[in-house]
Amino acid sequence: MLRIDFNLVLTMINLVILFLILRKFLFRPIMNIMEKREAMISDGLKNAEDSQNQALELKSQYEEKLKGAGEESSQMIERARQEAKAEYDRILQDAGAEADRLMKSARETVDIEREQALRDMKSQVASLAMEAARKVLMDEGPGAGGRTAYDQFLKEAGDPHDRTEE
Amino acid sequence: MKEGDSTEELTNELLEQLTCQTVFEIPIFGGIAVDEAVVVTWIIMAVLTVLSIVFVRNLKVENPGKVQLALESVITWGSDFFEGIIGKSNRRYVPWLMTVALYLAVANLIGLAGFKPPTKDLNVTAALAIMSMILIEYSGIHKNGLKHWCVHFAKPVPVVAPIMLMEIVIRPLSLCMRLFGNMLGGFVVMELVKAVVPFLVPIPLSFYFDIFDGLLQAYVFVFLTALFMNEEME
Repeated sequence: MLRIDFNLVLTMINLVILFLILRKFLFRPIMNIMEKREAMISDGLKNAEDSQNQALELKSQYEEKLKGAGEESSQMIERARQEAKAEYDRILQDAGAEADRLMKSARETVDIEREQALRDMKSQVASLAMEAARKVLMDEGPGAGGRTAYDQFLKEAGDPHDRTEE
Repeated sequence: MKEGDSTEELTNELLEQLTCQTVFEIPIFGGIAVDEAVVVTWIIMAVLTVLSIVFVRNLKVENPGKVQLALESVITWGSDFFEGIIGKSNRRYVPWLMTVALYLAVANLIGLAGFKPPTKDLNVTAALAIMSMILIEYSGIHKNGLKHWCVHFAKPVPVVAPIMLMEIVIRPLSLCMRLFGNMLGGFVVMELVKAVVPFLVPIPLSFYFDIFDGLLQAYVFVFLTALFMNEEME
């Protein structure tokens, strides 16, 4: 019981051997497996985080694209509106020009017709006057009286234009 | 039968139980006497090795079995306990501490299986204490360097240097004697109780002295070793 001898050394050797055996067969394998599991779990978490980041990035990309599409469509609408406006203006302008042209030609036609009518009238008036003059001359004979009657007639029936034309 | 006779008989029986019998001699260096304690230690080593090999087969990273889970939780609990004392950076000492704890737990309980506990032999507790001493001083030197180890005896004031130097021996001596005394005392008390009242009464006492005290001493031994190491590594 109370003696110290060589068994002390034997026990120390035993302890070291037991330590080496247990380390090889018990602690190392279990620690390894637990470390592996830990690494696997942290890997999985990291992967999950990575894919989440990727998904978020994709989402922001899509949102960007969507926003671009909205802008583009509004641009297209704006352009179409401008084109339509230009077309409208052009048509309006054409119509105005056409109307002007029509009015002008109508006015010209009217002028021509009136001139024609005037000319007709003038010739008729001249013949009437000649008739009247002949009648007067035949009634009173040649003399100053006839001459004054002719002048008077001209004064009453004539047109300033006719005088210039004469 | 006279009372003196029965007392003498008990004494003889106790002494016989307590004596470390030489099992055999190795015929070198003039014969090395191999004690019972060493042989029982060999048996413990063999059992632990076989159990380790049997239980640590087929370890799986995914879907571990129940045995593996139990084993893992025990090892995790032990390594967490020791890392909590000596710090995570010194985890390399943890397997040794767990080995000693396992050996002491089995050695203290092996009396239940009919063997003579090796811890009842002063050689074994002394060997354990010397290993602890070596480990304590080595961990200090490894961590802070030889120079710091030499200087730290004179801190905080040089007057304490003799006490600090004595501490090198006192620490393992107290470890050794605490373990040895507890196992021996527990054994003697149990034998006396059994001699006086051999019926029913020894059962609860056996739970205390054989099982609880044995595990407690194993725990205290490795706990104090770790604590001293931590102190030395500061």
